[in-house]
Amino acid sequence: MDEATGGSVTVQVRDAHVYYRVYEDPVPGLKQIFAEGQMRRRYRTIRAVRGISLDLHESETLGLIGANGAGKTTLLSAMTGLLPLESGSILGRSRPSLLGVSSALRPALSGRRNILIGGLALGLSRAEIESRVDEIIDFSGLREAIDRPMRTYSSGMRARLHFSIATARIPEILLIDEALAVGDEEFRHRSAQRIAEITSAAGSVVLGTHVMPEIEKHCDRVAWMDNGVLKALGDPSEVIAAYLSTVSRTGAS
Amino acid sequence: MKGSDQYLHDLTRPPSATKYLAEAWRRREFAVLVPAQDLRAQNMGTVLGQLWHLVNPILLVGVYFLIFGVVLDTSRGVENFLGFLIIGVVLFHLTQRAVQDAAVCISRNLGLIRSVQFPRILLPVAAVNGQTAAFMPALLLALISVLVTGERPTLRWLALPAVLVAQFVFNLGAALIVARIGALIADLQQLLPHFFRLVFYASGVIFSVEAFISSPGWRRAFAVNPIYDILSCARWCLLGEPVDVWAVVGLMVWAIVLPVVGFWFFLRSEQRLGA
Repeated sequence: MDEATGGSVTVQVRDAHVYYRVYEDPVPGLKQIFAEGQMRRRYRTIRAVRGISLDLHESETLGLIGANGAGKTTLLSAMTGLLPLESGSILGRSRPSLLGVSSALRPALSGRRNILIGGLALGLSRAEIESRVDEIIDFSGLREAIDRPMRTYSSGMRARLHFSIATARIPEILLIDEALAVGDEEFRHRSAQRIAEITSAAGSVVLGTHVMPEIEKHCDRVAWMDNGVLKALGDPSEVIAAYLSTVSRTGAS
Repeated sequence: MKGSDQYLHDLTRPPSATKYLAEAWRRREFAVLVPAQDLRAQNMGTVLGQLWHLVNPILLVGVYFLIFGVVLDTSRGVENFLGFLIIGVVLFHLTQRAVQDAAVCISRNLGLIRSVQFPRILLPVAAVNGQTAAFMPALLLALISVLVTGERPTLRWLALPAVLVAQFVFNLGAALIVARIGALIADLQQLLPHFFRLVFYASGVIFSVEAFISSPGWRRAFAVNPIYDILSCARWCLLGEPVDVWAVVGLMVWAIVLPVVGFWFFLRSEQRLGA
């Protein structure tokens, strides 16, 4: 399934299964416990990722497409180590950085202080963050808003700040989950450059998105996920065409 | 294909306890700087600002002194009741706030947990660090009041840092346990204030246990209460109040056992917290 792209493997996913529990109702209340003898929380097991195998190579940008609920975010979270696997394995050269839907880390604090907090959580030292803070601010294009509380930011501004923090120290493996669709044209151009920097330094990027032109422009290969399994993996234009044809077909029926 | 898979490592398996601790230690700056940011944010937009960290303990002790020193007069058997009360109230509140903060540290940081892979033990540790930092003005206040009320520094004062270190590691252990339970059962947050009110009266914060309980057997039983141990030892250091040897032993046992138990307990469900 994997045609070798030349570079050696940076992340190897083998038959990965990720299940998680969705609780039907939060916690059984006293009424359930006493009236119905319901002690445990009722839950359903969602099999979000069911047997995915793929390799990520050096200098490669892999697109990850699929409908909402196909398991893209779950797969990316598992690759970062945020979700435990039910079975299978995910091996990697280093721990990937995940860039997901952005929430404000500390809404009451300024963007500048959030850079410090985000950077520390990513494992940067205070000195490293301080030496890069100007570069991070410039990259985010938020110089004027940086000392305002983060809760006053628009979602696009939050996403820009997150991207800038997450790539402050160029990661070897970057997983991007729907984060690039936001932001204006200029920021998208800058982030595309940063992605190119990663791949030119023999790193790998996974781009999970719905925005097909982005995928076709940036990606060397595209993986199409459907209902937790890999439907196709390969040449971007072919996979995207196949994906779009099912979308329009179900849309028509 | 050049390069083999030999330098690929498992990204999903939890690391060993020693590796985990090493990683947490490497990122220790997080547990110091993040709570510092949060403390600063706490009083933003107030007139007194950061002064609240000093005004708060003054008001706290003032209220207790008014009720228990003046109105109810529980000062029986205590020479320097104001000093006695301040040490009790300030140290008690340090543990209470550290533990209560740890109970919500996971749920309050879900955004961070879901976007960055980092040792989650840093969150309860940060909670304890933050409360310990916030406690420093109160400690200063306690030392000043003890001096003002006529105590003179003696060699016993040199033992105080050891008592405070023991309290700190005890708080860490308690925070780790409470962080895990609080992440899974949100009701804990509601229960803790009541639990601490009970402990408050069972620890001799506002009265001398020695003066109110005459049976030596019962008095000895208080040594299982870690807060009582902390207060007794600290009051011995600063005021020369008598301390039971069992309280000293009790504090030492708590300070050694609880962090170990807490770390083990926290690590067992680390991956599930906040997921």
